[in-house]
Amino acid sequence: MGNVDDDSATFEQSYDCANNRNEKVSTPISNGHIPSHAFVQQKVEGQLSEPELVEEEQNEEQLLLNKHLKFSAPAYTEIRTRSGGLKFKGTSEGSYHPAKQLEANGHATKSGSKCEKFKPSQADGVLSAEQEHYQKTSFEDVPLHTACLTYLGFYLLMILGYINQLLFVPKVATEKGREGYVALYDAFESFYSRYVYRRVRDCWNRPICSVPGDELVLKDRVTDDYGWSFRFTGTETRCLNLGSYNYLGFAAATGACADDSEQRARQKGLAYCSPRSELGNTQLHIDLERLTARYCGVEDAIVFGMGFATNALNLPSLLGPNCLVVSDEKNHASIILGLRLSGATTRVFKHNSMRDLERVLRNGVCYGNPKNGGKPWNKIMILVEGIFSMEGSLVRLPEIIALKKKYKAYLYLDEAHSIGSMGPTGRGVVEYFGADPKDVDILMGTFTKSFGSAGGYIAGSKKLIDFLRTNSHAHCYASSISPPIVQQIYTSMSIIMGEDGTDTGRNKVQQLARNTRYFRRRLAQMGVITYGHEDSPVVPMLVYLFSKIGAVIRTLTTRHIAVVGAGFPATPIMEGRIRFCLSAAHTKEQLDYALDVIDDVSENLGLKYSRKPRDPKIIEY
Amino acid sequence: MLNNIINFANYWWFRYLMVTELYVVEKWERVAIHVIFMVLFCVFWYFNYSVLLSVTGNLFGYTPMGNILPGVQQASGIKVT
Repeated sequence: MGNVDDDSATFEQSYDCANNRNEKVSTPISNGHIPSHAFVQQKVEGQLSEPELVEEEQNEEQLLLNKHLKFSAPAYTEIRTRSGGLKFKGTSEGSYHPAKQLEANGHATKSGSKCEKFKPSQADGVLSAEQEHYQKTSFEDVPLHTACLTYLGFYLLMILGYINQLLFVPKVATEKGREGYVALYDAFESFYSRYVYRRVRDCWNRPICSVPGDELVLKDRVTDDYGWSFRFTGTETRCLNLGSYNYLGFAAATGACADDSEQRARQKGLAYCSPRSELGNTQLHIDLERLTARYCGVEDAIVFGMGFATNALNLPSLLGPNCLVVSDEKNHASIILGLRLSGATTRVFKHNSMRDLERVLRNGVCYGNPKNGGKPWNKIMILVEGIFSMEGSLVRLPEIIALKKKYKAYLYLDEAHSIGSMGPTGRGVVEYFGADPKDVDILMGTFTKSFGSAGGYIAGSKKLIDFLRTNSHAHCYASSISPPIVQQIYTSMSIIMGEDGTDTGRNKVQQLARNTRYFRRRLAQMGVITYGHEDSPVVPMLVYLFSKIGAVIRTLTTRHIAVVGAGFPATPIMEGRIRFCLSAAHTKEQLDYALDVIDDVSENLGLKYSRKPRDPKIIEY
Repeated sequence: MLNNIINFANYWWFRYLMVTELYVVEKWERVAIHVIFMVLFCVFWYFNYSVLLSVTGNLFGYTPMGNILPGVQQASGIKVT
């Protein structure tokens, strides 16, 4: 979805403007432009004169100014895709104007937040846990007519798909010489991806060619045959990134993390090519495990090279056939896979419903294992996530801990999204609710999100971790984490903990909490339906219809905002959604720009479904 | 004025395509679905006209219009049963 008709004059203009003011624009690639070679040269020169560069980088105000400059027009000029009807406001009408807003707002200009009265993300503790949950979490029902239309549209797409399949041979590779064989691939899934998903395939899996920080550069591609195939146009689009799980903004090509990782890669190479239990164990890994244990406030921790495998391969070593697992219905696929591999009996409870959880637990305790003649279960484990990534909701930890103690069950908490992003100092939902980390038996989390790296950990008692060290497949057979990746995790974790001697980490956590509240409140004020807890940085905006997901993503891309949509296989049919992921790297100006555009788009595409009363006051950042 | 009307129609046509998911499909599929819609509409209309109208007429004891109108032979001219 590139802007093909854009003329290069505007780009030159902006770049000249940047040069005249003696400022370094980090990536002056405007929308739809072939990256200019002159710029590459310039960049190389810039790298050669290193002392100058360092000086410039030290000047924070300058950097901030640069941010404003590169974010202003014309990189964010509006491109019309449709001629008729849609009345988008000009971007200049929005509040994003660098000259006006240099120092106006309370945004963290120099070193984090200025505002004293801001309260970090933390449970208030004024109301009871249950009341607080209901007060802060919203799951608004779908309007009836939208529900009907969504089903109608879905059936239409299916009918059209069948007609299509009947009339034409699909443009995919077919196997030959397989007569008499049973189909190897699931028929419905391939049908779905060919005739429903394919129509909006340009909105997913979009290739990028930059660091996914607060902004990213999309590689433009077009399709000539309705999504069957794509070809690159050779142009690039710089977009505001609202789609990465880069909660604390550690995914960056510059800064302490990147420098340390680079140095570590030069020292130690890129991989050990061996599992931890053989030759892949180094002091680096041991240090990281100790740091992780301290970070989580528990005795010991173990780290793995892959977040998904942390769940999928460790659950089987903890659970066996005569175990009962009580799992939330919105749990991630990795957990579900792990449970299936373990062979344990799984009972699902309704999302965040404590009453249902208690019912399932009570039944489990009372009736025992029916396959084993009603004898008691070996162990019962409650499996929940900290932040549910599709719903944006928070686990009700205090109540679950109470239930766990009441029924003597184990608690496995997957903090993939919440670690680093929740709590006053980023220690996850456990800190957010002020709970004791020792009350949670198994603390699992990933380094993929907040730490801007890869891998996962499990933290808990020394006994648990020792057990895992001998029994976990992910520890015994999977290759150990690569040195630069360990370093990235180590440095980012020390920054969050404040062990580098600055308060950068704390400011980042606060900035994220602030961005989250602001963004969520502004969206609620607009009248779109969002799901989840008011402090969760994952903000799903419900658009319901399949074509609206496509339309929103395409329109936002033309307005230089990259977002992620989620449709049927990942969500229920009726609940297509756009998922915004906020980051500490976003500034207020960027959010304001995004919110203005979202307001505009949701007005035009009819996304303002909410029937709740709207806040008439101006939302303060 | 004309422009406004065209814009208005365009916009709501777009919204209509959006809610019926026809926005994402190919042109011939859009036409096919509209043809199906029209056929369905016509079938319903004919069903209402020929069956439902007479059934409700009989049910509530209304006399068909053709029988009341003077000077018109039954089952000739306007056929409103």
